Amino acid sequence: MKNMVAMILAGGRGERLCPLTRDRAKPSVPFGGIYRIIDFTLSNCIHSDIRRIYALTQYKSISLHRHIQFGWDILSAPLGEFVEVIPAQQRINEQWYQGTADAIYQNIYTLQQEKPDRVLILSGDHIYKMDYRRMIAFHLEKGADLTVAAIRMDRRLSKEFGVIEVDRDWRIVGFQEKPEEPRCIPGDPEGILASMGVYVFNTEILVRRLIEDARADSSHDFGKNVIPAMIERDRVFAFDFRHGDRGGVGYWRDVGTIDAYYEANMDLVSVTPHLNLYDPQWPIFTYHAPYPPAKTVHAEEGRIGTAINSLISDGCIISGGSVKRSILSPRVMIHSHSEVEDSILLEGVDVGRHAKIQRAIIDKEVQIPSGMEIGYNLDEDAKRFTVTGSGIVVIPKWMRLEGG
Amino acid sequence: MKKILVVEDEESLRLFYEEELKSEGYEVITAQNGKEAIQELERKNPDLIVLDIVMPVMDGMEALGRIVGKDRKIPIILNTSYTGYREDFMSWAADAYVTKSADLTDLKEKIRELLKRGSAR
Repeated sequence: MKNMVAMILAGGRGERLCPLTRDRAKPSVPFGGIYRIIDFTLSNCIHSDIRRIYALTQYKSISLHRHIQFGWDILSAPLGEFVEVIPAQQRINEQWYQGTADAIYQNIYTLQQEKPDRVLILSGDHIYKMDYRRMIAFHLEKGADLTVAAIRMDRRLSKEFGVIEVDRDWRIVGFQEKPEEPRCIPGDPEGILASMGVYVFNTEILVRRLIEDARADSSHDFGKNVIPAMIERDRVFAFDFRHGDRGGVGYWRDVGTIDAYYEANMDLVSVTPHLNLYDPQWPIFTYHAPYPPAKTVHAEEGRIGTAINSLISDGCIISGGSVKRSILSPRVMIHSHSEVEDSILLEGVDVGRHAKIQRAIIDKEVQIPSGMEIGYNLDEDAKRFTVTGSGIVVIPKWMRLEGG
Repeated sequence: MKKILVVEDEESLRLFYEEELKSEGYEVITAQNGKEAIQELERKNPDLIVLDIVMPVMDGMEALGRIVGKDRKIPIILNTSYTGYREDFMSWAADAYVTKSADLTDLKEKIRELLKRGSAR
């Protein structure tokens, strides 16, 4: 798809994911042991033959920049392929991006240089597997100016989404941003069509509407401003995600909160996860450091290195401790007589002897001292750590803990 | 009295516009390039900008983006003898386009129109 570029909005602060987003933007948050959230969107692009990709960043972008530099150097520049990170440059004016539409507007010179016929606008915050070629084919077939990908959601969730109203031809006739009283799907009063933040635009229309928006009283957001303003004037269609869903089960997650992040990770340790990472035709690309294979050691009475119902990444050593229903990123060390259950341990975490951890997310490079208990006394944990409404304990990156 | 900012690098033309527009009853301020234009925009708060494109220091296209960033609503007329500008996406942010000419009828017409539209808002 040479006449197409993708622009991934990767500037999301992800405040509700704090402290995981204390040092990194949301697209850069680790997921599923070895991935970063943005890997799913980038992999979708590659598998959809879209290989001219810009990631637009602004806050805390170093982690993302490194990940893309190291992990995504897989395209061929001589063939005109690239993944390029563009930090906010204040090229057009002296402000940070005001909204999603403003982020694209401020990169209008990038579009100018590439002059693609169409632009695919994506979010770097979402986890799903989608063949964008299906959506683009639909866009062309309908002669659309803009096509918005849509997924069915329960109507009770309407306040979290842009809600799309379509006619019989799937032309969009209404767009409500986070409504309390949503327009439901005809014949499905419990369902709404939610915007996935995936847009195919014809470039000229995109640029004209962005400029108009830049000159209007607006919060410069696609969902709030640009799309509602286009519905009456332009040919705006919705694309049913089911027709482009690579996984086939309607999996699409905006892991916007710690609880949602935890649940989406834990799905992966079930026998048949909703998110299938094992599709040989649709691998998820990421950065792999050259770590040795995961290892378990010790098998004597009372000191057995075991991992069950878990994802164990390269470089991990489970040495005489036990891991259940957990996700271990690379280089995690589990020492003897320790127990880890229902937890997510990010890269380089070290769990000391006799430590006990349950229902926790432990960010990179944290050393859990011998004998410490986490997740067993939430009142005590809440004095030092983030504890979510559903009782997940989160320990931030590099936090130093004293012996317990 | 409505205030017009004329941005033009060529001195003789600048004076010409200034005189012609003053005789139409406007207050006229001038700038020699985009950078000066932005300073004048902030200092003198004009009602409309007539903007040349090819200028030293900062050209009209770059100035256009920055002007819109500072004052979204101010009417801007691109005034140029250069015809390729519409290839430049940013030029689409202008409210009107005038081809440079010794006859200012067209320019004066566009100014009247845009100022009227502005005061109707």
